[in-house]
Amino acid sequence: MKKIYLLGLCILVLFKMANAQDKEEKLINVDFHSARIQQFADDLQSKTGYHFYYEQTQFDSLKITLQATNRTLPAILYMVFDKTEYHFSIFDQNVFLTKGREMRPNLAAGFFTSTSAAEHPPQSIVDYSEEKTAKVPEATTENKMYEIGLRTGNLKGTANLAGYVKNVKTGEGIIGASIYNPDTKIGIATDQFGYYSLTLPKGRQTLVIKGLGMKDTRRKIVLYSDGKLNIEMQEQVTSLKEVKISAEKVANVRSVEMGVNKLDIKSIKQIPTAFGEADVLRVVLTLPGVQTVGEATTGFNVRGGSADQNLILLNDATIYNPSHFFGFFSAFNPDIVKNIELYKSTIPEKYGGRLSSVLDVSDREGNKKKFTGTAGIGLLTSRLNVEGPIIKDKTSFIFGARTTYSDWLLSMLPEAYKHSAASFYDGNFEITHQIDDKNSLYLTTYLSQDKFRLNSDTAYSYSNKNANIKWKHSYNNKLYSVFMTGVDDYQYDVSSSDNPVNAYKLKFSVRQYDLKTDFNYYLNPKNAINFGLSSIYYKLNPGDNEPNGSKSLLAPDRVQMEQALESALYIGDKYDITPKLSVNAGIRYSLYAYLGPQTVDHYAPNLPKETVNIIDSTTYSKNKVINTYQGPEIRLSARYSISDNTSLKASFNTLRQYIHLLSNTTAISPTDTYKLSDPNIKPQIGRQASLGIYHNNQSNTIEMSVEGYYKWISNYLDYKSGATLILNHHIEQDVLETQGKAYGVEFLVKKTAGKLNGWLSYTYSRTFLRQDDPNAGELINGGAYYPANYDKPHAVNFNGNYRFSHRFSISFDVTYSTGRPITLPIAKYEYAGSERVFYSDRNEYRIPDYFRTDFSMNIEGNHKVHQLTHNSWTIGVYNLTGRANAYSTFFSEQGGAINGYQLSIFSKPIPFINYNIRF
Amino acid sequence: MKYLYLYALVLLTIVTVSCKKPYNPKLPSLQSNYLVVEGVINSGQDSTVIRLSRTVALTESIKAIPEQNAQLTIESDQNATYPLQELGNGTYVSYSLNLPVSNKYRLHIRTQSGKEYMSDYESVKNTPAIDSIGFIQQPNGIQLYVNTHDPNNDTRYYRWDYAETWNFHAKYQAGYITNGTELVSRTEAQQIYTCFANHFSNDIVLASSAKLINDVIYQNPLTQVSSTSEKLETKYSILVKQYALTKEEYSFWQNLKKNTEQLGSIFDAQPSEVPGNIHCITDPSEPVLGYVGVTNIQQKRVFISKDQLPQTWTAAYPYQCDLDSMFLHSFTGQNQVASFLIPLGSTQFAIAPFTDRRGTLLGYLATGAQCADCTIRGTTTIPSFWK
Repeated sequence: MKKIYLLGLCILVLFKMANAQDKEEKLINVDFHSARIQQFADDLQSKTGYHFYYEQTQFDSLKITLQATNRTLPAILYMVFDKTEYHFSIFDQNVFLTKGREMRPNLAAGFFTSTSAAEHPPQSIVDYSEEKTAKVPEATTENKMYEIGLRTGNLKGTANLAGYVKNVKTGEGIIGASIYNPDTKIGIATDQFGYYSLTLPKGRQTLVIKGLGMKDTRRKIVLYSDGKLNIEMQEQVTSLKEVKISAEKVANVRSVEMGVNKLDIKSIKQIPTAFGEADVLRVVLTLPGVQTVGEATTGFNVRGGSADQNLILLNDATIYNPSHFFGFFSAFNPDIVKNIELYKSTIPEKYGGRLSSVLDVSDREGNKKKFTGTAGIGLLTSRLNVEGPIIKDKTSFIFGARTTYSDWLLSMLPEAYKHSAASFYDGNFEITHQIDDKNSLYLTTYLSQDKFRLNSDTAYSYSNKNANIKWKHSYNNKLYSVFMTGVDDYQYDVSSSDNPVNAYKLKFSVRQYDLKTDFNYYLNPKNAINFGLSSIYYKLNPGDNEPNGSKSLLAPDRVQMEQALESALYIGDKYDITPKLSVNAGIRYSLYAYLGPQTVDHYAPNLPKETVNIIDSTTYSKNKVINTYQGPEIRLSARYSISDNTSLKASFNTLRQYIHLLSNTTAISPTDTYKLSDPNIKPQIGRQASLGIYHNNQSNTIEMSVEGYYKWISNYLDYKSGATLILNHHIEQDVLETQGKAYGVEFLVKKTAGKLNGWLSYTYSRTFLRQDDPNAGELINGGAYYPANYDKPHAVNFNGNYRFSHRFSISFDVTYSTGRPITLPIAKYEYAGSERVFYSDRNEYRIPDYFRTDFSMNIEGNHKVHQLTHNSWTIGVYNLTGRANAYSTFFSEQGGAINGYQLSIFSKPIPFINYNIRF
Repeated sequence: MKYLYLYALVLLTIVTVSCKKPYNPKLPSLQSNYLVVEGVINSGQDSTVIRLSRTVALTESIKAIPEQNAQLTIESDQNATYPLQELGNGTYVSYSLNLPVSNKYRLHIRTQSGKEYMSDYESVKNTPAIDSIGFIQQPNGIQLYVNTHDPNNDTRYYRWDYAETWNFHAKYQAGYITNGTELVSRTEAQQIYTCFANHFSNDIVLASSAKLINDVIYQNPLTQVSSTSEKLETKYSILVKQYALTKEEYSFWQNLKKNTEQLGSIFDAQPSEVPGNIHCITDPSEPVLGYVGVTNIQQKRVFISKDQLPQTWTAAYPYQCDLDSMFLHSFTGQNQVASFLIPLGSTQFAIAPFTDRRGTLLGYLATGAQCADCTIRGTTTIPSFWK
């Protein structure tokens, strides 16, 4: 029927053809924006009087974007349909649009005329992208040839390809997957949502896609013009523990970034821990360049930075206290975490606010296709996680929770410890919603709480609360943005009620409100630009102490609340100058304002900050800017490929930090407080230069690297002797601004594939601090450089995994490091009826070297796909050799005599067992 | 269940410092001998006692070297001077200074080697009287505490030290003594059964009411006495001295306590310097240890007798004790009494005679010094304050 109709039209047109010429030459202006065919035809019909004939169904996936001025109708039609599978023919006053076949009675006159084209250069962008609501092809088959864009004969030039890489089972975006054309060596990695945008030469080609924990795959495409392609990937079927440190096997050599470590949850899970539960932060400690003061803390020191100089992000939410249970567990639920990235050297310009590193923990998205879950049972903790679709393929949720039930164990202890209590829980709830192809929403919430009481009557509790929402919007293939807003909150309280007169309740809290926008713009194949804006409003309660109970005589004491606004504007460009040389250049300008209400003391210049030297104090009203600090932060890195397998990288970074952790204990304690920079406490500033050489061997399965760095730190806070940090109204009087320097070399060899995999690293690093300002009132070690608490010159880490079969593997972990510095007594004397010790200069000695070996076995149940639950066991021993590593040493008077002691946290081998169920 | 037990062990290691081991690092034996000044300028009635000593290397067996032949003077900011006399062994005293409270005072030291040291001028800090000293009965002993207050809310920082004195007995009462030729009954003056012992505090006891509305110290712990201690066998006495401190002096003591008594937990503060208020004038870089404050020391004594405590509490005798029978004619024919009990300087003490059924003396029951002689751990002299 259609054919007859078309034929009829053709005959009609043949008669009218003759007098068509004059009208065709009428000049018209058009402006279409994603116009459908009907809109396009109606508009032209009204402007030219021509009738349009076409078969609606053939054109329903076509979208036309075109701007043109002073063009003839044929010129416009030519611009739209040339080199596509669509064709047009003009007969008389009729236009026939066809797909596939052309109606060609004769060539329309005036075809090539373009009046005054010189004065009006054509301003046309034709976008052939598919209809919005139409499904972007899900490329699922390796051998199928996918056609991208509208078919044209012109395969010269480049076109843009964009889309998502997703997990075929869960529909979740895959972060950091690489899409790579092995012939042209053009490639890119997906962003945090699994999105990629890549400019490729047009034509037939094969793309190789590799993802962390995913089976490598390939797609054959013919790229005609800009278009979209979503790629689904299979999970590695073996549920085994294969170390994959790098998403992209060539990333070690080819990426521009330096000092970035990326680990997925599978490699995190294979590292043995003290209680058998996979621990994100423990794994970070095995990476080169990361140190810790001891086993009882999750605080870590990156390249000579202090523990508060790490920005710890959970789905972009700042976690102030990432530890549970005195620091023996990290606050991240291993069942929810997808992967972690630690930036030690090149810190992307979108991050800021901390000096040393960024630890970016990403949680999984919920399964978009079906309900699943896991449960884990250990002797101290249990975990549960449930996930599934809310609207299939569009909206999903994931929920994870952990709790401990250790109190019953504490009650079995001898009398002296019987009355202790400790408990914690945490919960994650996340929703992912895909509004349409261009818009997605991500909701993240996190809550954790710890309570403990160590036999004394003092009870402690602390809690993290975080929530944020992100909206991702794609403008087109090349530009997308992410808007984020959220709240991060950390608080603790300490209370005591034993002595009714002194009973108190002390509270501390810090809260930040975030607002962030990030734009990513893939300008052309050589430039990927990102820019954005971020703003954080801090509200900090440094402490208020209230009477606890009616008999308490405690005078309520409240340190003034602090407020500040930290904003930053950034822009960066990854520029491939030549295939061998790439540069990543970014700048971040940060502006910090300390806000009222507040009363600020002014000290006489060039005199110690002491009460007697206060010359004046000013009270500022609400939201009044008290003072500002600002400055540019430079983020530069470059890579030069010496060969396909070897490259040289260099980077230079500067960072600024406006919030300080106040802690004079060895380990980070839950009751440490924070302080915002104010007129008397300057922001910390860090600069780092690094240089490295990278080499891959054995078809990229062995990665080797050597990185060296030198770092300068200014205004890092140290404390005067006997400093009071809690409830101190004049904290500036008790702190000292120190200068630091750190340098080191990190060697890393990593085997990423095969039955045996793992890594071996050696780090030589030194960190020194100095306080030499004679006006500060007190010199530490006479103003000379002294080693920082976490200065451990030599560190060796080995981490190995051997897979006997798909169901059984073993892991070994060996750690060695020089003992950390301590201050030892050098003399004794008698005072107040007892022997006392006189200490050496700060950190002049070291505790004995640290050595530990851990072992674990992973046993999987059978791998039959169709069974109700899948089980696995993890059995192992922490500290296999039972070496009593010294955590600290101290000299204490007991009964009038001085004795030296060393304290070990885990002095015996500790067996563990863990049972996991997946359903 | 086996695993549960293992986990209990694990937790034990976490929550406790039970895996505390002796640690003796090899330290270079530095020849440090810094001056240590200990004492308080007593502005009140009682005497001022200042002790001077020198620090010694950790490895030394002696505790400290007394600093002798120094000249000490208390100086006021009104140019009044009050010299101290040397008592020997590094102790210098001045009796009843009764200093005018409106002035400031410092201690001036000139050592034998000619070096001069000076403490900072300190105002007289008034110490309020001790309100009461009491104890809280606990399952395993008593916890002694002190109460005090300052109606002017002016004192705020306190330190205490104390001397404990107690009356105790030897395990056996030796009824006889040798005069070199025979055993005779002990006179009252010769008894070695009931003694007094004392102990001076060696912990730093501090408290502050700075955070409270009123300057009140309520039940601040002083010391604990175990229910099995000999201290509670008959009667116990404690003399508590109370010192008011300035804020700086309090922080000195607190630092000293932190550095030397409160280490060894997971969240320890790092050891830090303990700057005092004494400086070497001749060599400003030389460290000097100590803090000399000025206050009128207050003191109070209380007694606790056995009838205030549970009847079930019994003192554990510190030594294992047995009685031996010493025969005049043993099976071997030896005169054990003459051999072991009669010689002067014998280490065996005759407790009581024993006889056969007819009353014939066969010998004496005897025991060692630690079971019969209380003077090895105390003195038989009744202290003047005892009642």
